[in-house]
Amino acid sequence: MKPENNNLENNISRLVKLAGDSNQPNKAFTDSLINKAIDELSQQLGSTTRERKSKIMTAKKTFKIFAYAASILLVCGVLAAVMMPSFYKVRTQSQLVARLDQLRQDNLQKSSESQRQTLVIVKGEQKGTDSSAASVPLEDTQRENKPLVASDIKAAGSLDKSEELGMLQDKVMAVDRCRAPALVKEPPIKLYCRVPPPIPGSPPMAHGGSVPPNGEDVDAMFFKNYGVNPFIDTEDDHLSTFAMDVDTASYTLVRGYLHDGHMPPNDAVRVEEFVNYFKYNYPAPKKDDFAVYSEASPWQFGADRKNSYLLRLGLKARQISEENRKPAILTFVIDVSGSMAREDRLGLVKKSLRLLIDNLKPDDKIGIAVYETRGRKVMDYKGLVEKDDILATIDSLTTGGSTYAEEGIRIGYEMAERAYKPGYINRVILCTDGVANEGQTGSADILKVIKEKADKGITLSAIGFGMGNYNDVLLEQLGDKGNGHYAYVDTIAEAKRIFEENLTGTLQLIAKDAKIQVDFNPDVVRSYRLIGYENRDVPDEKFRDDKYDGGEVGAGHSVTALYELKLWPEKKGKIATTYVRYKKAETDAVTEFKSEFNTSQLNRGFDDSSKQFRLAATVAEFAEILRNSYWAKGATLEPVLQQAQTLAGEFKDNADVIELVDLVSKAQQLMLKSPAWPVEDSASE
Amino acid sequence: MEQEPKKHACSGLVEGDGRVWQELLQQIIPQLYGMFLKSWPNPSLAEELVQKTVFDAVRGRNTFDPEKGSGEEWIFGIARNNIRLEIRKRAARPTVDGDISAYLDVMDTEPLPDELLENKETADIVRTALGQLEEKEQTTLRAMYIEGLSAREIAERMELTEKAVHSILYRARNSLRAKLKQLARLDKQEHDK
Repeated sequence: MKPENNNLENNISRLVKLAGDSNQPNKAFTDSLINKAIDELSQQLGSTTRERKSKIMTAKKTFKIFAYAASILLVCGVLAAVMMPSFYKVRTQSQLVARLDQLRQDNLQKSSESQRQTLVIVKGEQKGTDSSAASVPLEDTQRENKPLVASDIKAAGSLDKSEELGMLQDKVMAVDRCRAPALVKEPPIKLYCRVPPPIPGSPPMAHGGSVPPNGEDVDAMFFKNYGVNPFIDTEDDHLSTFAMDVDTASYTLVRGYLHDGHMPPNDAVRVEEFVNYFKYNYPAPKKDDFAVYSEASPWQFGADRKNSYLLRLGLKARQISEENRKPAILTFVIDVSGSMAREDRLGLVKKSLRLLIDNLKPDDKIGIAVYETRGRKVMDYKGLVEKDDILATIDSLTTGGSTYAEEGIRIGYEMAERAYKPGYINRVILCTDGVANEGQTGSADILKVIKEKADKGITLSAIGFGMGNYNDVLLEQLGDKGNGHYAYVDTIAEAKRIFEENLTGTLQLIAKDAKIQVDFNPDVVRSYRLIGYENRDVPDEKFRDDKYDGGEVGAGHSVTALYELKLWPEKKGKIATTYVRYKKAETDAVTEFKSEFNTSQLNRGFDDSSKQFRLAATVAEFAEILRNSYWAKGATLEPVLQQAQTLAGEFKDNADVIELVDLVSKAQQLMLKSPAWPVEDSASE
Repeated sequence: MEQEPKKHACSGLVEGDGRVWQELLQQIIPQLYGMFLKSWPNPSLAEELVQKTVFDAVRGRNTFDPEKGSGEEWIFGIARNNIRLEIRKRAARPTVDGDISAYLDVMDTEPLPDELLENKETADIVRTALGQLEEKEQTTLRAMYIEGLSAREIAERMELTEKAVHSILYRARNSLRAKLKQLARLDKQEHDK
């Protein structure tokens, strides 16, 4: 297949226009041109007024400034004399801290301890660790508290690093900057930064974190940096444990960014959600709850990394036919605050609900609560016999006011509790852009309530709408804690996917608290890295702790996890045993099963692998590059695009794959345009 | 311009009054388009020039002087200037020879020259090629590029999902390209004879 690009599309557009008979421009062109012209006018007017105002203000201020300047100079002189000694002290301390940090990280990387053990080391036992091993990469992302003076320090080279570390630690006793890193390379630092007001046409701004979004600028987007999983030597830790995740929101969100002509923020990309967006047509198990499909092939991705293998674990949950789905009591909690008027978000919510209602069964019931400045119930539970009433209620919703999410959610849960019926699917469906600005706006309080209710059998789905002023972090956590799921609806087509094509999977769970533990055989596997699932990490020892939260999997859902592996040369035998543990959604009975994978099952080359395997690999590569992962260093989108194009040919008429080609090509063009997307190539693993 | 433009839109232009501008543009865009199309039978170029003219006018509205004539006359002046500029640009470009197929071979990577699009032969080949596509592909291409509809609007009209429209478009572009190349080759063979 030839590359699909803008030139081709433009040329086709220009050619096809030749076949038009009219000597009038089309209406769409005229309308859009007029709109653009009027926009331009209003922007110019706006800036002229601002300029004029600012000139007057400047003149007024000038005099004042002169008056103050003299006095300030005087005060400064005095202060400088007083402050110099203490400033020097602080500077020295921060240099020490920076050096200590650097040494800790060096040691962390070389430490032969496992991830969590590493944490313990950081807290004090580093003196003995060997620091002479080959250097290990350090992903340097948007790190808060990044030592300002790190580059200034040329450490005394003659000192053994660990000795130096010990000395420094003694010196900086008071400063404990140890954070609990779930991951070695990038501790999940909670990061927030103030963003300037939006410029029209500029990308929605992004930052991540967990502090309440109150007072943040309106167009802030909330994402969180969960880090990137490192390579782990099997000698150190041969177990890899994580909770299942069937969310797909990250992919649809990023799609929105790319369609709007912007590169997504790195933190918006969660590789597992990209991979899980695609349908791999794993055959569904007939009797069991899950079927496992493992496959592995040689894989070349990123610079300087040779002889890697990619292991794919595909799990498919049992399917339930539409007729056999349990009846559902659905409580919609709809955000009708002012922000939902933007881009007609509420309009999309309404259309999505109509879609859902068209696909419900006679036994299902719907209740609706809304919130803006206050929360309120707008419709008690009604079945499909009263469909017209339900639709009328939905149509009557309008936007306005602030966002009292807490009250809305509370009222929704009260309704759901009263209507609760055992044997039914009891689900609260929250439709929002995710920013609460009244009541309990911190996620911790809301999450606690939701977790309690989920334990009682009322689950929650968080459905996100809208770009700008969007809280990805909160919605993902809501879906996770609520034992439901999290999806992002950017178009009516996406709503169809969730509420029409896969409604049974959306509503009816097969497994709760599902976790995966992969036990790598250290005789065959030298090291491994889990691609994605960073925020689904489960401590190895919690795998069989059935109170520990895992992921929820709906009927017919599939979960795909990818590992990059380094094998010992010439070794044969078992590569890994995959354990899957979950509670049956119906009975809460805990179930565990395992599946093994051997070197004899390895494919000879990447091209020998199944198209499903290659699709998962391609999507993961795309996501790794988009999130600027350390492991994507030296990788470009060109081969990804080629693979995607080949796959588009193989998966005939699969719109998802065709769209992937389009997105990769869009991203590639954006990356070329934007010099802010360097893929550095320095260290190796 | 042959037709006498209405002379009402004078006040409010310099000030950037949105309503006045909207009224003026609504009326003048089709006229500008016709004017450019007459100079070069190339709808995409005409659109480009209309757009340039409108933005030249919006950005240079301070240069409008009601004493010298109506708003329409002023904008037509800008348009004539743009035609002159385009003629000058073309004079600097190499001429396009008759062999369409050579250009179609690189249409994935190079923009086709405007001069090629303005050949009557090219328009004929495009019409024939479009006519040979599947009904659905043809409708989608026309709706997208001639009517200027968005994928969503096409989806609604054809009662499809937006994704399906994208996938039809993708296929349609590929089949149109193949058809064009095939027809251009045939055309060339006939010429060579």
